Amino acid sequence: MLSLKHLQDIKLSPLALLDSAYIIVLLPLMLILKVPMLIFSFIVLVLLFFKKTPADKFLIVFVFLMGILALYLSLYGLFSFRGLSRLKLFLELLVYVLIIVVSMQRLTREINFYLLLSPILFLALSLFFFHGIMMLSYVIVEIFILLWLILAHRMSGDMIESFRASMVMFMYSLPWVVVLFIFFPRISFDHADYGFKGENIQRMGHDGTMYLDRKALLVPSDRIVMEVGFDKEVPSSDKLYFRGSILYVDKKDHWEPLPSYLKRESQTYYPTQGERVDYKVTLYPTQKRWIYLLDMPARAVKDADLDRDLISTVEKPIKAPIHYLASSSLSPKFHDILDQDTLYASSHFDRNRNPKTYQEAQKINKRFNTPDKRASALIKFFQNQSLTYTLKPKALDINNTADSFLFDKRLGYCVHFASSFVIMARMAGIPSRIVTGYKADKANSLKNYLPVKERDAHAWAELYINDHWVRFETTSTASAIDEEAAEVLGTNSTDEGEKAIIKRVNLYLMYVKYQVETWILYYSNIRQLQLLQYAKENPRFIFLFVLSLLALVLITFSITLYFRRPRCTHKILCILEPLLKKLKKEGYNREKDETMHQFFLRYLKDHPDKSAIKEVDTYYETISYGGDSSTATIKRLKSMVKKSLSS
Amino acid sequence: MNYIIAPEFTPLIDAIETHLMGKRETIALSLATFFAGGHLLLEDIPGVGKTTLAKHLSQVLGLDFGRIQFTSDMLPSDILGVNYYNQKEGSFIFKKGPIFTSFLLADEINRSMPKTQSALLQAMEEGIITIDGTRYTLPEPFFVIGTENPHEEVGTFPLPTSQLDRFMCSFGIGYPDRESEREILKGERGHSASNSDALLTPQQIESYMKQASMVTLSDTLLDFLQEIIAYTRESGLFEYGLSTRGALSLTAMTKSWAMLQGRTYATADDLQAVTSVVCSHRLKFREGPTTAKRIHDEIFTHIRSDI
Repeated sequence: MLSLKHLQDIKLSPLALLDSAYIIVLLPLMLILKVPMLIFSFIVLVLLFFKKTPADKFLIVFVFLMGILALYLSLYGLFSFRGLSRLKLFLELLVYVLIIVVSMQRLTREINFYLLLSPILFLALSLFFFHGIMMLSYVIVEIFILLWLILAHRMSGDMIESFRASMVMFMYSLPWVVVLFIFFPRISFDHADYGFKGENIQRMGHDGTMYLDRKALLVPSDRIVMEVGFDKEVPSSDKLYFRGSILYVDKKDHWEPLPSYLKRESQTYYPTQGERVDYKVTLYPTQKRWIYLLDMPARAVKDADLDRDLISTVEKPIKAPIHYLASSSLSPKFHDILDQDTLYASSHFDRNRNPKTYQEAQKINKRFNTPDKRASALIKFFQNQSLTYTLKPKALDINNTADSFLFDKRLGYCVHFASSFVIMARMAGIPSRIVTGYKADKANSLKNYLPVKERDAHAWAELYINDHWVRFETTSTASAIDEEAAEVLGTNSTDEGEKAIIKRVNLYLMYVKYQVETWILYYSNIRQLQLLQYAKENPRFIFLFVLSLLALVLITFSITLYFRRPRCTHKILCILEPLLKKLKKEGYNREKDETMHQFFLRYLKDHPDKSAIKEVDTYYETISYGGDSSTATIKRLKSMVKKSLSS
Repeated sequence: MNYIIAPEFTPLIDAIETHLMGKRETIALSLATFFAGGHLLLEDIPGVGKTTLAKHLSQVLGLDFGRIQFTSDMLPSDILGVNYYNQKEGSFIFKKGPIFTSFLLADEINRSMPKTQSALLQAMEEGIITIDGTRYTLPEPFFVIGTENPHEEVGTFPLPTSQLDRFMCSFGIGYPDRESEREILKGERGHSASNSDALLTPQQIESYMKQASMVTLSDTLLDFLQEIIAYTRESGLFEYGLSTRGALSLTAMTKSWAMLQGRTYATADDLQAVTSVVCSHRLKFREGPTTAKRIHDEIFTHIRSDI
């Protein structure tokens, strides 16, 4: 507790307290400052550090001009009247101006009202730039520290006392905040996203087209696409196909969905057999309209379309995290009646391209007469081609992608597999199409929480067999996986222990974050009703809830008591405390005007045999007044106190 | 009060006690005041042994004893001395007054006019006097015991605050307890007439005074001391708080009291023992009487010895 002891002695001046407040509130804003402004802030810091006297007029004018220059450089090119209408830029400008003004005022070393107010303004401004759980926690910390600093100022710089006071205030408020929070969901935002929507545009792993050329280079990013919370356990990995879009049209180097004029008519949806699962999804901004649902969606999500290909979309591009409840049947196939256009689109292939593949397809076509047999023959054929799964395939011949992949390069990932498979299936007379989306891995899940990452983007094939679209996992035909891909995919079971632990820890952190977000940030009256429903069904829950609330109150109360306990300020008194307690029990109370020595003498008068206490008295005097506070003497005092306690 | 006088000082106290029965503590405090380099103000009714204490103290310490009986018609020159014109030599010659002594008993100091009282000021503070622009140094050590009768009002001039502040300590002697008084009445031991032998040499006195000033004050004790000083100033109980000179006196007395007990460091007990004697003539309660006991109780029930 050495540092605490030091803190006890520190009495911060009002200016130092104010500086601490500024450091706390400016830390997050530092992340958004442009370089010129950062340099300006640094210069001001250096000035503050080396100049201990109030700045004169010239210096302030100099700082002002520097600030204006930094501001100009920071916003150069961004600044226009049109730009000003963008609120975030305007706020950034506000932050800069505030920093300049505060710097100027701070250099005068005078505290005025504006200087006191500005930390709050900075705090409020930082809320516009950051959002999510990190900022929420930081804001709580900020509020606590500001409260502490204010109290410290009121208590003339006593850091320990003010910390105790602010802690007590915080602790007292905690149970009531929880109670208020649970009963009044209105105080939380429905979508607690700080900041402005639509500012960050990201390229997604899935974007509705599928390239086979160089553009298709994969970046296995760990960015979270969506977080899925299942009502029950996470289904096995081979069922975690999130449907994105359906691609019908082969454009040599890439695949496209059906042209919009060929929009399939919406018809009654045929529910499929299979295990039903309910789950909640938090989808992060994609700037696209797709909503990802598990194969096969059982019903449309609220406010979203579900078309005949079981692709779900919303009306507008998703620019802020959205949350939806969904329900799916975990089935690899579903019933569908193809109209003429779709049948054509899913059977069409270019006769002039991929001659080798066509030859092989014809062989299969002739040997087998039913689509399902042909399909298994296709799989067998792929398996025999000794194809290697790699994330860095060699460039394919764009005009004959299937030939090039199957007979020449033999290197590729899901895109190449799916594309070749579909081309060949069509050549073999089976209507087929490519499905792109995400395929998650159960290994990356925790309890009922499943994060889906950018790297989980995937493409697979669907073949139309006996009035059903049947899913084919084309990459499973690969006979080898190169090392890099194995590592990225995590299929390498000999994953180094350390890495696995980090991964696991990361997953746990994400899980906690997800739970906090679900139950705190997005706590709404829907959640409240859910909670109520759950409580009705489980009376035990109510009991546990009340019990934990009581525990919380008790804990805060005890923490409060702990913080309010009389402090043992004097080192020697701390050592003597148990002895004094013992004497108190014996009926010897130290009088107010009694010195410790007098008190011991009084006791010794009645108990002349207690030589240990006599020794304690002597050591107490030598340490307290004799200037001998060496560790040896203190040790002896301690042992004497112990001795007198035992006797 | 808890104290054990160190063996080297007990003979001194014993010697004086034979003439002032049952007043060991008073004697010890007087000795402490002397070793602390301060002056002593004895406030009590006549006939309790103020003069006896002064006389035997000076004898035991082996110092020249000078006595001035203050009266209302006394002039400063009666104390300090006077320049007179020597016709034979044709020049002014300074005739030293009774103040030129090591141990001065200023008896009934409040009987003289303020002008005469203040003649003592410079002497007591600086150990020098100035007459007609010439400085005269008083002998080392210079110790003044002033006595006054606090209950007499007719024909007295209460000491000004500045004068009071120059005395380090102030206390009374009080009536002897029953046993001691009986001894006195029996007349078995000399009350005041006989003389005592000098027990200390000037060198010893000097070394003891030095020793007293070298006593350590720990931070803990200084904290305590400052709390006390702050309390006298800020509690609002007193008309005015302890002056810096008062605080210095308190420190010096604490040290000296610790030295008298043979210690090289002072404790909270020492401070408690001397606080009321140092403060009783310096502080005045806004309401009610000012007594040493009240000051002691008021201060020490509010401020603890260990902060």
